[in-house]
Amino acid sequence: MQTLAKFRRNYYGFLFILPFVLAFLIFGLYPVYNTIALSFTNTTLMSSKAEFIGLKNFERLFADDVFLKAVGNTWLLWLLNFAPQIGIAMLLSVWFTNARLNIKGVGVWRALFFLPNLLMPAAVASLFFSLFSFFGPVNQFMVQNNFLPEAMHFLQNKTITRGLVVFIQWWMWFGNTVIILMAGMTSIPVALYEAAMVDGATATQMFRHITLPLLKPILVYIFVTSMVGGMQMFDIPYLLTDGRGAPSSSILTNNMLMYLKFSSSQGHIGAASSVGVMIFLMTSICSLAIFYFLRDKDSAQTRK
Amino acid sequence: MAIAFEGKHPDVDVQYTMIPMTNGEYQTKLKAALGTADAPDVIALEAAFVKSYVESDMLADLGSLLPDAQAAQTYKFVTDVGTYDGMTKAFAYQATPGAVFYRRSLAKEYFGTDDPAEIQALMADLDKFTAAAAVVKEKSGGNTYMVASSGDFQNPFFANRAQPWVVDGKLVVDPMVEKYIETAKLFRDQGYEAQAQQWQEGWFAGMNDSLVDANGNAKQVFAYFLPTWGLPYVLAPNAKSADGAHDTSGDWGVITGPLPYQWGGTWLGIVKDSPNMDLAKEFIRFSTLDQENLTNWATGVYTNDYLKAIDPNVAPDQQQAPGDFVSSQVVVEKITSSFDNSDLSKFLAGQNSYAGFASAAPSVNAKLMQGSDDAIQRALNDPINQYLNGEISLEEMWTAWKDAVRNEFPDLVIE
Repeated sequence: MQTLAKFRRNYYGFLFILPFVLAFLIFGLYPVYNTIALSFTNTTLMSSKAEFIGLKNFERLFADDVFLKAVGNTWLLWLLNFAPQIGIAMLLSVWFTNARLNIKGVGVWRALFFLPNLLMPAAVASLFFSLFSFFGPVNQFMVQNNFLPEAMHFLQNKTITRGLVVFIQWWMWFGNTVIILMAGMTSIPVALYEAAMVDGATATQMFRHITLPLLKPILVYIFVTSMVGGMQMFDIPYLLTDGRGAPSSSILTNNMLMYLKFSSSQGHIGAASSVGVMIFLMTSICSLAIFYFLRDKDSAQTRK
Repeated sequence: MAIAFEGKHPDVDVQYTMIPMTNGEYQTKLKAALGTADAPDVIALEAAFVKSYVESDMLADLGSLLPDAQAAQTYKFVTDVGTYDGMTKAFAYQATPGAVFYRRSLAKEYFGTDDPAEIQALMADLDKFTAAAAVVKEKSGGNTYMVASSGDFQNPFFANRAQPWVVDGKLVVDPMVEKYIETAKLFRDQGYEAQAQQWQEGWFAGMNDSLVDANGNAKQVFAYFLPTWGLPYVLAPNAKSADGAHDTSGDWGVITGPLPYQWGGTWLGIVKDSPNMDLAKEFIRFSTLDQENLTNWATGVYTNDYLKAIDPNVAPDQQQAPGDFVSSQVVVEKITSSFDNSDLSKFLAGQNSYAGFASAAPSVNAKLMQGSDDAIQRALNDPINQYLNGEISLEEMWTAWKDAVRNEFPDLVIE
């Protein structure tokens, strides 16, 4: 009885969230369901008949190591990009919000760091491709200044190509992280820092015991959104080399594999959907893990 | 073409839709539209993917047009591409045999002659071609490369296999493919190729002599493997460097080269169960098999004014310049001499390229083309590069390629 009365009082709230729920069900949940359904069939774009083939698509995924290589690459590229991203972004945020340092023109710096995020991935990939091509400026510079004995195919070297992808991703996204971290840090009451200073805490101690714990919700947001974006990394590795993860599938990511299967001459949607389902499972499990490890243990206890 | 058709059939309205192919949008939109009520009647299919549509059940049978093809003596390889399992489903107005374009001044320097017949004799088969590459390197002191990249001569090798890539659902590696890899390795190790990949900066730079290696030394490229459309659309526009300092126009000659091959081309087919079947068939017959239309198309009769007279809404820059190599042998033989003094022949120091292609066209074989060719061949590019760079062994190269093919074609049997 009490819940019904509460509902009658609060039904405006439900009405307001109804549009979002409907949109989510249609544009969010239904495609997920459809993808899972498709992954159990051998539907292709080129023929009109499709049959249920059970787990065959998934078996084929693990028949050779291409899928696992793609997963490994995606994790590697994301982690290598994310570690410096959060590290440098955190450092910059601490400096910019530090009352003692009082850096001038913080807004300008923030804008400058965020600018790369606004660039089109196609333009950036094209730029780096030209820079590092066999007859391009980087080769000329390195050879003429005796850093290299002769021109090398930078984009046919696994380590360098991976390094380029990691660098581009870092460069495009660390500004975004700086802005979000700064927003989180400025919402921490200054009184806490003053009290800590009075108690004789060092900068590091203040960071570890005040800033970090109070930033937890923001950190959860950053970790989860970065991981979801990282698992779906597609545009830069696709456009930098030949779209198949050259050299030697070293930058082949999950989404690229899915796209390759989908856009092949057969248009194998069933196989592509199975890759999609695996990505979905991986991302969901890792997100839940992040939520679990970064949960607010204190408030959970007080609610009990 | 569509407007000319409207000229002949004033009561018909042809709706022409153009979708770019840059990132595969064309195929995506096409695949999505086929099978729905919005499907077009006639579709244009590029060589890279024409076979996969011809092999599918999405195109209508055009066997009734074969007598017209015979009358026009359409080149065999053009009809072969549009035929599958005995059914002809697509015709083309273009024929795109391949050729080799060489630098006359460099030929005079290294071989003592720039006459096409003599150069052709010097490069008449693969062994002679490789020997010529050695001469080029020796006489130029390593400053001239025979070709810009080993990818340049990939087409001729693949076009002369004995077996296609897929036989009875199994992946087959023809000996010509292994010969290609051997030749590519030889060219790389001996320095006969400039490592300037096709369609990239270095490849174009070689066309106008502005190719400069990392040390700043000027390098030259002796020959380019390009088909009919390569001359007006790739070589001629790029023969002048961007800063105007170099211009190789007038310094080129064309020969058939060591092996006949074909590259590219556009076919027209009708979507199955099209509501306007008869009209669509007539459109295809007109576009690809009508001798008068093909003659007009190739000799530049369809100027902007001509088209405007039929349809006043034509865009001001829409026209068909002369020079497209058409698919009917009858028409080609009739009009070849009209190109003796064209702009393109001036580019080739007076040589009539149309005649060159006309002699190459009959021996081109496209029987082995399959829908999966493009993906299988593109999957080979990266492993080959790694192998040529010495980063992986030959065995590893084959494994990497087979893995890539297996992932794109889950139903293919690969051993």
